Amino acid sequence: MDERVFTITVGGRAGEGVKKAAQVIAHIFCAAGWNVCQADDYQSLIRGGHNFSTVSTSQTPVYCAHQNHDLLICFDQRSIDKHLKRLKDGALLFYNSDEAQCEQGIPIPMNSLMKKHYHGASNVSLAALAIFAALAGMTQEQLQEQIVQQYRRDIEENTAYAMEIYGMVSQRCDYGLDWSVNKPFHFVSGNQAIILGASKAGLDFFYGYPMTPASSLLHYAALKQESLNLFAIHAESELAAINMALGSAMAGCRTAVGSSGGGFALMQEGFSAAGMVEAPLLCILSSRPGPATGASTYTAQEDLFFALHQGHGEFGRVVASPDSNNRALSLSAELLALAWELQIPTILLTEKHLSEGMADIGMNHPELPEAKELPGTAGASYQRYAATPNGVSPLVFPGHKCAPDTVVKWTTLEHLENGVRSDSAADIKAMKDKRGIKAKAIQEACKRYQTTAEYGEGELLVFAYGSTVLELREAQKYSQRPFKIIAPIYLEPFPHEKLEQYRGKEVVVVEHSQSGLFAQFLKIKLDVQVKHLINKYDGRAFDPIELAKQIEELQDA
Amino acid sequence: MRDINTDKENTWCPGCGNFGILNAFKKSVAMMVEAGISLDDIVMTCGIGCHGKIFDYLNMSGMYGLHGRALASAQGIKLANPDLKVICFGGDGDSLGEGLEHTLFAAKRNMDITLILHNNGTYGLTTGQFSPLSPRGYKGLSTPKGSIETPFRPIPLLLEAGATFIARSYSARLDHLAHTIQRAVNHKGFSIVEVLQPCVTYYNTYSLYNKMVKELEIVPDNRNLALQLATAEEAFYIGVFLEETKPVYHEELYGSHNPAMDRKASAERVI
Repeated sequence: MDERVFTITVGGRAGEGVKKAAQVIAHIFCAAGWNVCQADDYQSLIRGGHNFSTVSTSQTPVYCAHQNHDLLICFDQRSIDKHLKRLKDGALLFYNSDEAQCEQGIPIPMNSLMKKHYHGASNVSLAALAIFAALAGMTQEQLQEQIVQQYRRDIEENTAYAMEIYGMVSQRCDYGLDWSVNKPFHFVSGNQAIILGASKAGLDFFYGYPMTPASSLLHYAALKQESLNLFAIHAESELAAINMALGSAMAGCRTAVGSSGGGFALMQEGFSAAGMVEAPLLCILSSRPGPATGASTYTAQEDLFFALHQGHGEFGRVVASPDSNNRALSLSAELLALAWELQIPTILLTEKHLSEGMADIGMNHPELPEAKELPGTAGASYQRYAATPNGVSPLVFPGHKCAPDTVVKWTTLEHLENGVRSDSAADIKAMKDKRGIKAKAIQEACKRYQTTAEYGEGELLVFAYGSTVLELREAQKYSQRPFKIIAPIYLEPFPHEKLEQYRGKEVVVVEHSQSGLFAQFLKIKLDVQVKHLINKYDGRAFDPIELAKQIEELQDA
Repeated sequence: MRDINTDKENTWCPGCGNFGILNAFKKSVAMMVEAGISLDDIVMTCGIGCHGKIFDYLNMSGMYGLHGRALASAQGIKLANPDLKVICFGGDGDSLGEGLEHTLFAAKRNMDITLILHNNGTYGLTTGQFSPLSPRGYKGLSTPKGSIETPFRPIPLLLEAGATFIARSYSARLDHLAHTIQRAVNHKGFSIVEVLQPCVTYYNTYSLYNKMVKELEIVPDNRNLALQLATAEEAFYIGVFLEETKPVYHEELYGSHNPAMDRKASAERVI
């Protein structure tokens, strides 16, 4: 099997279809049975600026996008200036000669040709597809098929434009694509996988308010609401979103909310309310660099303790972070199921890299759990907060069809078993103990799922979580020095049963935070000796080859 | 109808306007049940403040929500199960201060729920600070020299936001209030009943209201007249100011579907 990874990057201004071109190219590789990762780098603006999308692909597994290019297609000068130094030996550069100049590379007058072929709105994105099609040895028919399938509108003009550029490209790249394969694939972002997993587990409502990089949760849920049997509600604020979600859960619907750090901060009080009313609620936190508004469209892992300690007051929760797009799918289902099984809020912690990074999650999904409540018996004697051995009270939903002659009181104030408020010393203690003993049930329930992952073998122990694991797995392929990646998926409750074997060990920690939050967390949990912290906090993912080099160069590691 | 009282000790101040609201509400519930609504289908939410204690005095389902957020949770309940009659109790601090956004948006959406706005013009439970409805000059612990803000006028505010049933009543007019609440709950769309409610401890308006409250005979036939009557200085008019028909949010969203009752199990879900 050819293990080479090809990296193809398209760069241009926002609004030029950079991402779309990359995605069509990614789909072509997926259909040929290749492994593909796509990363989109964009700014917080709608027109102009500099966007680039990168596709890294190989016949063997590839875990994250590389940052050095085999093929670079630039729609403007800025893209050349920014990426020229990252061309690999023997790489090809194509650029829009109506906008840019370059001593190397192949000029294509993309603008003039647009003027020639389009009467109305033009689409330079097609130029990138046409260049790729010619290089990859696609026939005109194959290119035409992609244009029809992927672009839908303005087919004639798109085709005429693309075909002329196709004809101008005489170079060929022998990727070795087998056109007869036509493999079914499911190329989705992490956020899309999260919605799919939750939907399968029973999600009925997603409540949100736009905030990058969590917005695409709301967008995807809204786009797919019919086929996924759910409703996506864009509320007036994050405060509304989480409090609406609590109401929907109380009435019997599986609900989720999602935001990035700022919006999630606004949801804190509602999260705490979920702890008090014992609401089953899936919360998705997709991080970007902070504090405050920070850097909207980039990646970070600086919300680890924020997630672990979300909400004021004492109550149980589960926090877990997916280490791949496939895991995002299964973990989302698990966390919705756990929320309902235990009547607690759960947090799926992720970051821009995974939320918006695209990968093929395949067509055959693992068996996913269903979010089900512990059913209660309707009637006058029903008590919402009835004491039970494990702290989980049976649940019924209001309404004469659901639970006749039954009073269901959910209460954010401290309360009695029937949900009526109380602030007597004995009642406060009793209800805190009821919620407190859930901790054991939470711990046991999580063990049913895969709480940690390990990749590779080696003396060197490297800890990471979330999408940093993808960066490390890709780096592992290039490192001369073998290492073992240890990735906790569940962070709270901490999977001691799996990780105690590393107590006190010398380890390397790789993460995206300035102060080494994950390293601090591991010191607390496992008393590990962090010999080296490799941390990147400029909003960008690691380039896997550079990361491999950093690991190789560690002294005494 | 089963007893809807609880054995929770009532801790409102003697003479509190909330007693009138509680009694009128119980009466309106009896009328609703009489009219064929199941008691089990009436679900309430409330925020935090003196008004919220009503939750504990009613043996009925609901959510005792966060301060300001009761109307958001009420909307979540309605969206999940549109068969339920959802009634939100809110103080003026709760619904027009901390939670103003949810009040305006519930009206904007014409969400088919009811807000009972306890307008006592003060923050009773936190010891009498000025509220969004306190008049200029109101003296409280946080405004010792008197409030320098102009109060909201809830009826024009909600009218502009899109409420389709707007009424005002007075906690001391039990029958008027009970009938007004019943009409509001029966209304299809977002309904609000502003209840003039004296706070005997911090803002006692009994004599003012007893003197100035006048009942409207009919619903004003145009918005200008409704606004004029709602903001009149010669009297506090009580009655229905606006009653109109517009599409409601949950039906626009999913027609006759019921998300809670028509849930699909995992086996029926394809991703």
